[in-house]
Amino acid sequence: MKQLSKKKPFDLFLCVFTWLCAGTTFLVLVFIISHIITRGLPYLKPSIFALKYNSENVSLFPALISTFILVVLSLLIAVPIGVFSAIYLVEYAKRGSRLVKVVRVTAETLSGIPSIVYGLFGMLFFVIRLEWGMSILSGAFTLSIMILPLIMRTTEESLKAVPDSYREGAFGLGAGKLRTVFYIVLPSASPGILAGIILSVGRIVGETAALLYTAGSIARIPTTPMASARTLAIHMYALSSEGLYTGQAYATAVVLLAMVIGINLLSEYLANKIVK
Amino acid sequence: MKKSLTLLLAAIFLGAIIAGCASNPTTGTGGGGDNTGGNDITVISREDGSGTRGAFIELMGIQVKEGDVTKDMTTKEAIIADGTDIVLTSVANDANAIGYISTGSLNDTVKALQIEGAAPTIENIKNGAYPIARPFKIAYKGELEGVAADFVAFIFSKDGQDIVAKSCVTMQDTGPFESQRPEGKLVINGSSSVFPLMEKLVEAYLKINEVADIEVHMTDSSAGMAAAINGTCDIGMASRDLKESELEQLTDESIAIDGIAVIVNKENPATGMTKEEVRAIFTGEVSIWSVE
Amino acid sequence: MTTSTNSGKHREQIMHIVFTLSALTAIVAVGLICVFLFAGGVPAMLEIGVLKFLLGKDWSPTDTPASFEIFPMIIASIYVTTGAILFGVPIGIFTAAFMAKICPKRLYAFLKPTISLLAGIPSVVYGFFGMVVLVPLVRTWFGGNGSSMLTASLLLGIMILPTVIGIAETSLRAVPEELYEGAVALGASHERAVFFIVIPAAKSGVMAAVVLGIGRAIGETMAVKMVAGNQALLRMPKEFLKGLRTLTANVVIEMGYAEGLHRDALVATGVVLFVFILLINLVFSLLNRRSAL
Repeated sequence: MKQLSKKKPFDLFLCVFTWLCAGTTFLVLVFIISHIITRGLPYLKPSIFALKYNSENVSLFPALISTFILVVLSLLIAVPIGVFSAIYLVEYAKRGSRLVKVVRVTAETLSGIPSIVYGLFGMLFFVIRLEWGMSILSGAFTLSIMILPLIMRTTEESLKAVPDSYREGAFGLGAGKLRTVFYIVLPSASPGILAGIILSVGRIVGETAALLYTAGSIARIPTTPMASARTLAIHMYALSSEGLYTGQAYATAVVLLAMVIGINLLSEYLANKIVK
Repeated sequence: MKKSLTLLLAAIFLGAIIAGCASNPTTGTGGGGDNTGGNDITVISREDGSGTRGAFIELMGIQVKEGDVTKDMTTKEAIIADGTDIVLTSVANDANAIGYISTGSLNDTVKALQIEGAAPTIENIKNGAYPIARPFKIAYKGELEGVAADFVAFIFSKDGQDIVAKSCVTMQDTGPFESQRPEGKLVINGSSSVFPLMEKLVEAYLKINEVADIEVHMTDSSAGMAAAINGTCDIGMASRDLKESELEQLTDESIAIDGIAVIVNKENPATGMTKEEVRAIFTGEVSIWSVE
Repeated sequence: MTTSTNSGKHREQIMHIVFTLSALTAIVAVGLICVFLFAGGVPAMLEIGVLKFLLGKDWSPTDTPASFEIFPMIIASIYVTTGAILFGVPIGIFTAAFMAKICPKRLYAFLKPTISLLAGIPSVVYGFFGMVVLVPLVRTWFGGNGSSMLTASLLLGIMILPTVIGIAETSLRAVPEELYEGAVALGASHERAVFFIVIPAAKSGVMAAVVLGIGRAIGETMAVKMVAGNQALLRMPKEFLKGLRTLTANVVIEMGYAEGLHRDALVATGVVLFVFILLINLVFSLLNRRSAL
């Protein structure tokens, strides 16, 4: 940028244009966030965090707890499966085996499927076929399929990043393969895996279309896994759909944004840790 | 082969766009036709299947019935909003918009039109001067018992109907409420238009009978009736009259009468319309605001 | 001693099987999704008539007799996706080039989290933003009533930015430094080297970014239905100020209400969407494989 004046017009144009594009991207984000905050902040009163939802306080607290429960349940299902499949792909499968290729392709397919299709599938399979009804359980299973490829990919990448010398060292000391994987490889790969898990938390928190027909929209803290419940994103959607609580919907959006920002900061922090 | 697949996908996209260009659009508004000077009307309707839309098109003669054939004549150019909020926001932001919502959801961001000279007030709906109103119904299978029976008794009591009176027209009440205080679980499911009222009723009831456990699901009229029929809920809510097929299996009762307000932007000079004018706008026969 | 090694061996074998089974979950999941979606949707398609369903233009689900024809929605999805690509891809690629090659280090540390935040914003929030800010903006600047193809394309263009930027940036960074240095040594300016040497060299990665962007745009639901107007009408590209209804919007708007054939027709709409996504994924994985070679 120092020698702007020395640049040829065309180069100058390219340079300015890239700055403009990056600036637009940035401004759009600032605009969205400030829009949500200015609209939502006035409604962010203590009453909105009351323990029980009723039409007076329009509390988002039950939705917050339900979100938390749904996140935990989905992770409980998806993380072991995702991490184990990545272990299989990296540590056990023979290089270039056909199964590995098929698993990769299907995982890619899963990650490309839009959430509304997951919603339809969840409704047809978990809600209707397995007769789980609109419940936290149906929602959690639907979401865990959705985040599975993300966890698989991040785990796979961080397992690959563990130097082979670690494994050789462990083998040399007489450790079995399983021991090596669980005591040597997994711990060194854990920041990467955690970053992947946190990314999937972000995805669950923001999800609406896949939950609308699987977890339902009851504004209560669920007592059993078979109870229906709404997450924050659904809460926001439901509040707005009758037009009575638009302000509170924006307040929910503020809380959602705060969560997303927190999640991002956390994954950023972990990602930095891997680099070091 | 990879290249050919990429090409194939590109060809599909391109072909589709060309196909879109080649075939003429099925309908078109009069956009800038005979009535000169006015702005295009932005018609905002609810989605197919919505109880509010069902009641509105039936009451306004937008639904045409000929023997077995019924046809919804709502203009295909209408913006489809799948929620009261989206109708409200769209109308509040667009000077040329017209839409319809439950009177219970009216607020001061929009203007409700008088229809046939009557404003959509609870009084006018009650004495029949305001013509666009529909019942809020509950429906159930067989006989009600336990919490369900007690709760329904509450709805029709003076206490229950007092709550109804805040947003809707009340039904004949049965006097003060005496709870039997039964224990148990009650699941209610159905119309999102009835939902806000039902929520208030449930909250008031639970204050009287804390041992009951009531869950209210917000879906829609048809889903609520289906759930009541197949037993996934005890009481279904509908914001329209029940269909014959539903009545074969369910008993229904009106718990309130709700008006549908026709709303326009606050900048719109119009204050009232006749039913015929509203019908003409929503069927697309009139597509331009006339300059007054 | 022997028993312990034996049990160790057993454990190894059991865990090997557990790992293998886990790896198979993804395959099973895709299989289940295919089976249930197709079983839910294809009979309805056959009942309506496959060609009629796919190529007919009238969607009147509550009339008797009802008609379920989704050609306008297929076209609409393609329009808004194309629109989103037109807006999102150039800005995305230039931003990626900026971040990978031009941006000062300190600014980068700030810009990178911003982009990932953009990716993390829930789509309902985007929808609110679109409805309250973009719709009136398009109405005052371009005319029409604001809920239009253009608005939907703009909003989707914004929403695919993080996807496009992320992949394009990675592939730009993967281009060997020698290419850039060689170009500069031959007398090219910094910008020229980036735009005429580095970006073309990262071509397949950039293409992958575009394809993934297409996948995102075509599958987006909650935000699109709030700004697109949702008229089930066949539009022409020049009617970009009028509203339209995408496949996803069709499903989510009416699913809550639908029963019987109507519901199955909506699932069938989902099937059509799914097939689109499968095609896009296929192209994506082929591109990816080529870039890996």
